[in-house]
Amino acid sequence: MSPSPTEIEDPKVEGENIVKPDSPWIVIVWNDPINLMSYVSFVFQKLFGYSKEKADVLMLEVHNEGRAVVSTGNRERAEFDVFRLHGHGLWATMERSS
Amino acid sequence: MSEHAYAFVGDPATKQIEICLDGESREVLLELAKQFRSLLLEDSDDSLERLYPPAYLDHSELNVEYVSLVHDDLLQEKLASIDIFESTIWLEFVEIEKFFSWMAVLNSIRLVLGTRLDVSEEDEFDFEKSHSPEQTLFVWLAMLLEEAVSASTFYVEDFNKR
Repeated sequence: MSPSPTEIEDPKVEGENIVKPDSPWIVIVWNDPINLMSYVSFVFQKLFGYSKEKADVLMLEVHNEGRAVVSTGNRERAEFDVFRLHGHGLWATMERSS
Repeated sequence: MSEHAYAFVGDPATKQIEICLDGESREVLLELAKQFRSLLLEDSDDSLERLYPPAYLDHSELNVEYVSLVHDDLLQEKLASIDIFESTIWLEFVEIEKFFSWMAVLNSIRLVLGTRLDVSEEDEFDFEKSHSPEQTLFVWLAMLLEEAVSASTFYVEDFNKR
């Protein structure tokens, strides 16, 4: 079974963070000290069909910057990607693109 | 000529992985998989939290819903991977799709073990240095996973051409 998106309220204004209703969702992979760099790059290629070059760039961004946006899309798509990344042991979250 | 004995060798022609592990290594992995299954089914060990990360950092309610939706799916995926892993552990060649279950099991056990060892970015594990049995196991699993990725490279190269 694939995860289904749950209901979400309309975007709210919190401080200066104004989120547009039609803004896409981004999927973020976070750095962790356990996953191998080669494995992370491999997962990006396997799940998203990225070239090794693009996957390595994203993997290094995760490693050096602490996080990288690996995919974007509507909420259902983002939640599916997060689910697949979790299935491969990566630490992934999703949020609205600001 | 290199004397390095590879654990896994990929064959793009047959889309299989040759398993070059000795019997003792396979026995150890089999026992690890058995213990990992028990841990998953008990579903109470704190180190398992690493296998079920939150999807939303700023929406606790959404995250509760997400977890309720996917937790069982993730668990069943891991149990299915263990089943495939165990059923192919003694084979000389494993189809790439089934070998992904090997990678899933190896990586999941590493995540649990690394969490228990409280591994940080600063930790450096080296086969040449003396470690605790758990740390040695952690390093060995890293080596196996590294070789598993290398042996499977042909799949993503082929995959990207589609």
